[in-house]
Formats: sequence, structure tokens, C-alpha cells
Amino acid sequence: MLHLSFQSLYLQHNCDYGMRFCFNNFWRVGFLIWFVVLYPNTNGCVGQENIRPIDSSRNTQDSLRWSNLLQEVRINVPLYQQKQDSPLQTDIITQDFIRRYKGGSLMHTLSRLPGIGLIGIGSSQSKPLIRGLGFNRVSVVEKGIRHEGQQWGVDHGLEIDQFATGTIEVIRGGGSFLYGSDAIGGVIQIHNEPYRPENGFSGNLQLLAKSNSNLFGGSAMLKGRTDHWVYGARYTWQSYADYRVPADTVYVYSYAVPLHKRKVRNTAGRERNLHLYSGYVGDLFQSIFSISQVIQRSGFFANAHGLEPRRVDHAFHDSSSRDLQWPFQEVEHLKIINESVWHAGRHRMELEAGFQYNFREEFSPYVNHGYMPPVYPDPDAMDTPPTLERLYDKKVYSLNFRDCFSIGKHTFTVGFNGEHQDNVIGGWSFLTPGFRQYSTGLFLYDQFRLTENNILHLAIRADRNSIHIEEYRDWFPSGTVHENGKTVEIQAATLPAPQTEYLLRAADLTRTFTDFVWSAGINQRWDRTELNVNVGKSFRVPIAKELGANGVNYHYFSYEKGDPDLSPEQSYQLDLGIGWSGTDLNVNLSPYYNYFTNYIYLNPTSLYDYQYGAGNQVFEYSQAQVARYGAELSLNYRFSSQWSADILGEYLRAEQLSGEKKGFTLPFSPPASLLVALHWTSGDSGRSVQGSIWLDRPYASVDLKFSAAQNRIVPPEKKTGAYYVVNLQAGAILQVAKTTIHVDIQAKNILDTKYMEHTSFYRLIEMPEQGRNIVLSMSIPLDWTKGTKTTG
Amino acid sequence: MKNIRFISFSVAFILPSLVVFMLLLLVACNKDRHAIDDVPPSIDVGFTGAFPKQCSTLKRGETFTFRARFTDNVELGSFSLDMHHNFDHHSHSTEVGECTLEPVKVPINPFVLIKSYDIPAGQQSYEAEITITIPADVDPGNYHFMIMVSDQTGWTDMKGLSVHITE
Repeated sequence: MLHLSFQSLYLQHNCDYGMRFCFNNFWRVGFLIWFVVLYPNTNGCVGQENIRPIDSSRNTQDSLRWSNLLQEVRINVPLYQQKQDSPLQTDIITQDFIRRYKGGSLMHTLSRLPGIGLIGIGSSQSKPLIRGLGFNRVSVVEKGIRHEGQQWGVDHGLEIDQFATGTIEVIRGGGSFLYGSDAIGGVIQIHNEPYRPENGFSGNLQLLAKSNSNLFGGSAMLKGRTDHWVYGARYTWQSYADYRVPADTVYVYSYAVPLHKRKVRNTAGRERNLHLYSGYVGDLFQSIFSISQVIQRSGFFANAHGLEPRRVDHAFHDSSSRDLQWPFQEVEHLKIINESVWHAGRHRMELEAGFQYNFREEFSPYVNHGYMPPVYPDPDAMDTPPTLERLYDKKVYSLNFRDCFSIGKHTFTVGFNGEHQDNVIGGWSFLTPGFRQYSTGLFLYDQFRLTENNILHLAIRADRNSIHIEEYRDWFPSGTVHENGKTVEIQAATLPAPQTEYLLRAADLTRTFTDFVWSAGINQRWDRTELNVNVGKSFRVPIAKELGANGVNYHYFSYEKGDPDLSPEQSYQLDLGIGWSGTDLNVNLSPYYNYFTNYIYLNPTSLYDYQYGAGNQVFEYSQAQVARYGAELSLNYRFSSQWSADILGEYLRAEQLSGEKKGFTLPFSPPASLLVALHWTSGDSGRSVQGSIWLDRPYASVDLKFSAAQNRIVPPEKKTGAYYVVNLQAGAILQVAKTTIHVDIQAKNILDTKYMEHTSFYRLIEMPEQGRNIVLSMSIPLDWTKGTKTTG
Repeated sequence: MKNIRFISFSVAFILPSLVVFMLLLLVACNKDRHAIDDVPPSIDVGFTGAFPKQCSTLKRGETFTFRARFTDNVELGSFSLDMHHNFDHHSHSTEVGECTLEPVKVPINPFVLIKSYDIPAGQQSYEAEITITIPADVDPGNYHFMIMVSDQTGWTDMKGLSVHITE
């Protein structure tokens, strides 16, 4: 599956990166001259590269055509591969991979790759985790625009429709020099779905069903082309019930919570996404406008809000596993993006302009925590309804520009990134203040091709970020408590002037940061071996809550104190990549060492605070030196034309070298893990099953994932035991009449193993991971132009 | 031919990298350069004399003495007490047993106690004794009595007890 012969791999790479453009038009335009002139220009273009000129679908087809020539077509479309000639460790993931290993969310799917993990929230929400770094330390880029919404707490997932993705690139390691702040831990870059290569109109219908959460859903896509005009639409919908775990009872502290039919109460949800695009695709110029909206509604486990035990009416909740009761969240993410590419002489220029609107509401019945009034005030007099616990409303404006050109053996990319964020907050609970943020960055990247097999990468980047945090005061007075039999106004007595009884949770604050980062690397190829060495500096500016939080997270019994004097995180990373690709064997080993001079860490202290903290434990944002090191291994061996095996391993160790928690690891550190997979695929070109139905390219595979125990923890984490889990995959292409239908079946956690994932949101309340899950998906092409089958 | 190539390649490249990987795994399991404290403290309300206990009854207008024992393997930090009403049955205790609940009612003047306390330095075991007076004018009914304790590292333990305030 994963395997490619050396020749086709080499070709594939050439097609995929840079020369794509050339192959596209090679046949049509008689392009050789341009190829010669432009090749060095386009080959090295970096940055978002979101529009791969001109049609990636055509490229795939071209690659297939070429593979055909090499008689490799049956099995050799790789599911994912290592990007070559890149200074950083970059995996490229195809739609085939996503279809075959589709999980509850995009990150569930990608987490099969070594070094990639997730912070999961229920069955269909997750945040990315790359080499143990997550939240704002991973940059997610969709259609060239940075997806914003990572800083809104652990219980909030990524709003990405995994049906609506083209190829995905995952960079492991700091990529700030290209992507700016937040790319300190890694980058997930989601490319467009391929446009239609020829005139006409076609589409695709995907259907999905999952046994564990009784999910049903699908995605319908239509796309068309009239000469240079391309257009398309996609609609995705999903509805799922409460997911099941292999346990009848979970324990919130020592309190036993029975689970009705092993279902995690109130974790059902729905999703509805719409994508539209239209634009011009020419040989020298292309410009695409797209608009997409992702709407998700999902429930949280009813018996524990965070770590706080909740009493709920079990009979009421259990009467339906599909209903959504409190607490639940509703997320609406809108993106309007223009992406343009044009070639002018020696220059290839790319522009992305985007607006995104991210709106999230968290609903929960009012419970007076701390000093909140026992009864919610008359809702008419309040801005916030009593059921709206949190609201985030964020508008983001982005502009990116890159120019790529060659001088001699140098390929330069000069780029600009600009972004403005405006984040308003609401709800009766306060966690993170509202803010406005401006960021601009300028970079210069030089790819110096010393010889055909030897590239030197040098990059510098300067950034300026400014953040303005809005003042926030409690809507209630931290009023009366009873002390020693008397009713005491603690505010008046204990708070220094001029503070009033409405506690100041976030002060007005403006900070400006300037950063300078660099990167230097080398690629060396010898026949079948490739070596990458890269050393670079990355940075991340502190986010609003790290600077200005002063609120209580009642569901975690924590009082989080920001530090307005924090400086941007600085990280130095050494990356190595050693790859070997032979006829039957591909190996990749990528060790790394990473040093943070000032990692921003939410340090749990031994103190409790009864004023601002309402009696909860004080957590302070502080900075510490941190060393992280580890490696990923991926190995694929083809035994025969039918059998192959994968070994994917990851190891990571993080250690705080200074500060209060010297010697401790970092939170959310994934344990070492090893995945062993065995694949079978038919070498046959297809066989008649019954009459006109053909079964083509059937495959089956088994994944065995071993995870070590994680005994290195920081408060308030818990040690997590070792486990292994078995997943099966199988599928084929069904040729029914003249239609080509992809059918894929997965049996995830086939043994219904009870295990816990160290980085999972529900880990702290000892909730096991999802039990056995049979996933069935079908992809049916719709093609009106030719009425014939399309090649996969 | 192919086999020979594979074997020679294995020896030359894969085996060493696997060995390195395994060594890293081993290192992960065994090496602890700094002795770090990864044991949370604990709260004991089970001994005779500890008060309140799960389902204890308190009288408004009267004084009671909170008594609990905290222990830690290294050094205790501080503790915090929080008492709030559960008239709406919004949550349950952290304990095994369940107590009788009165019907849901709207609070008028519920008792709220939020207080944090230091523990003298260097203690591995500490018996807390705090006198608490419940005003005579607060609403009787179901309450939660929450005890939280930390150690110097920041590990915590928590107990949420269901108690009843009577007239």
C-alpha cells in the first residue's frame, strides 16, 4: 500500500512538488521551453503552496498515467509519504489514506502517523498534538489561511471537515520561519480538493456509518469546469449518538456513575458543513474564491463537567442516546478565502486573502460557583441567558503574499503574512479575556541547489505582534460570605482601593513583541538514501489568557493567573531525517532535539486563593527552560506484490530544566508507541464477482498498536497504563455497471479493549476510550460527461 | 539476490536504528535523573473524631469543628474549605454513599463558606481543626462540604461531602 518502487516514487515526487505544473501542461501546451525556464523557479516555491498549479486532480491522473507506464498502477498510489527536498520532516497524506483510516475527526485519522497525536474530546472532536505539543503550538493552515480557534480550551476541537480536504501536509517540528508564531511545534496544512481537470461536470457521493456511536452521515460533492472556469460545491452532514466505551460504570472520584448500555451520556452530536468555490484557472494566472461553513453541535459527558461531578436525571438522559442535553457546545466556523497564483516572467506569486468567523457557545445550566449569586438575576436585565456559560466570537482577517524566483542556483521565496484577530467574549463564566491582535511577518527563504542531489536551505524571518487585552470585570460582586457566624463583605474589607466589589478579572493591557527567527538546513541524496539536517529557531507569542487571565475554571477547581510580563517563547530545534528507499523497502528515521529557553507553562502551585480564586487551587503562568527530544521511525517492507508490512514508532521525552517544576515533564506528553501493520492487496486487475459486478483491487490490513505506559506526569495528570489495540481495515473497488464505487470497512478496537489515552480530555475522570467501532464508508462517483468510470 | 540485498541492508541500517529506538524506549522507562514527587496528598475523614463525614448533619446557629487528617509523602502545601448549597441537586459528592435529598428548592440566603488555610511548613501529616459557625439566618437544606488539600509540588486531593443543615 505504502510501497512505491523507487522509480515511481521518484516520479511521484517530481510530479507532486514543483514540477506538477510542468506535467500538467506538458501535453497541452508544448511546454518544454517553459519547463526549462521555469522549473527552477517553481520547484523551490515554499510557504503555503496551497494552490498547486494548476489542478491536483490532473496531477494525480498524470502520476497514474505515468505509473501505468511503469506497470505499477495497481498498488502504487501511496497513502502517505515523506516529502523530499524539504528542510523539515514533512508527511504528505492522500485522500486514500483518509478514506481508509477515517476516524471520528481529522486528527483521529492522522494520529496513525508517528509523531502525530491528538487531544480527543468524545468521539468526534479533537485538537492536534505534534510531538507532544498542542494548542497554540501547532498551526493549522487551511486553503493557505491559518485556522484560528486553538486557544479556546481543551474541550474544543478543530473545525475542519475531513471530507473536504485534498492532500494534507504535516510538518513535525518548528516551522516558524515560514508560518510565524504558533508553528513552534508543527504545522498541519490542508490543501484544496482537486478541481475538475477537463470541461464538464462531475461529482461524488460519500456515505459513512459507524456502529459505535450509531453515526450516519455523508458528503456530496459536485464540481464542474467550463474552459478556464472551475466551480464546485460540497455538503457534509453527520449525526451521531452517544458513544460507547467498554465499561458499565465509570468513577467520578469514588462516586460510581453507571453507564446505560455502556454509553457515555450526552456525547451525541451533529455536524453540517457547506463548501462552495469558483474561480479562474489559467496557465499563467489562477484565482479561486471559496466560502465554507462548518457547524458542529456536540454534547459533553453529563455526569462530570470538567472534573466537577454533576447529578443528572439518568432516566431522562437515557431515554434517547441521540438527544443533546446540557452541557453542550455549538460551533460555527465560516471562512471566505481568495487564493491567487500568477506567473510573471521569472516570478511565481501567490496571494491568499481570507476572512474567518469563529463563533462558539457553550451551554450549561446556571450553577452558582464561588461568590456568584445563588439565583441567576432576571435574564431580561442581563446580557447573557442563564444557560450560556461561555461565548467566543472571533473575526480574523488574513493576508499572505509570496513571490518565488530564481537567480542562478538559488531559488528565493520572499513572503509576507499579516493577520488581525478580534475576539469578543460572553457568557456568565469567565476564562479568557477578549482581545484584539495584529501580527505581521516578513520572511526570506533561499533554496540553494548546490548539486542535483544537494540542497541548502537558509531562511530568516522577522515578526511583529501586538495584542490588546480588553478589561473584564465579574458581573457579580464577590459579595457576602459567612464567616464565624457573621455575614461578611469580604470585598470591602480585604481588597485594596480602588477596586470595587466587581472583581477585575483582566486589566486593560497592550503588549507588542518583535521576533527574529532563522533556519538552516541541508538535504543530501545519494541514490537511495536521503539525509536532512535542519537547525532553526521558532517562536510563539503569548496568547491572551497567558497574559491576562485571572479567572476561575470552576470545572477544574483551578484559579488561573496570567502574567502580563511574559515574553514570547523561543525554541531551538535540531532535526534529522534519514531515509532509505529501495525496491521493496522504505525506511525513515527522524530524531530531533528541541530546547525552549522559556516555555510558557501553567504551573500548579500549592496555594489556594479565597478571594479571586473562590477557594480554588492557584495555577500560575510561568516560564521555564524545557528540553524535548525523541524520534519517529517509519518502515515499510514489501514481501511480495501482495503482502507488505509497516512499522511506525514514536518516542518523546520532555523535561523542564528550570522553574518550580524542574525535572518534571510537560503536560500532554504522549507515551512511546509502536504500530505494526500487515497489508494484503490483490495483485489481480479485477475479477467478476457476479455478472456485471467486478471487484477490483481488494485490500485488507491489520494495525496493531502498542502504547507504553506514561508514568512521567505533572499535576494534575494521572499515570496511564500501557495498552495495545487492534484495528482492521479492508476494502475494494466495486465496478457496478460502469460505476466505480470505493468501499472501505474498518473495525476499530476490534477486541473492545478497555484502555485509556493519556492525552484524552476524559482521561482525568478515568473514562476509557471508545470501544469496538465498525466503520463503513462508500464513495460513489457521479460523472455526467463521459458516463464512464473514473480512475481512482 | 533480493534477499541478500535485504539482509545486508538490514544489518547495515535497520537493525542499528531499531536498536537505537529500543534504547530510547528503555531510557524512557528507567532513567529518572531528578527525583520528582509524583504522589498526591490525601484526605482522611474516616477516623473517629473526623467531622463532618458523608451525610453528617449540622445545625444552623451553632458552631462545629471541622476535623480532618491530611498526609503527603513529601510535604503538605495548604488546604481550602468550600461549603455551598445543593438545593438544585446540581452535583453529587465524591463519595460512595448517597444521602437523602430534600426536594429541589430556590435558595434565598444560602450559607456560603470559602476559606483557604496554610499548613505549617515541613509537615507530612497534619490534622486540621477549624471552628465554623453557621449563622442562624441561613437556609437549611442539602449542602456540599468540599475539602481540598495540596502538597508543595501542586498535587491535590479533594473530597466533596454531602451534609445537611437543619434548623
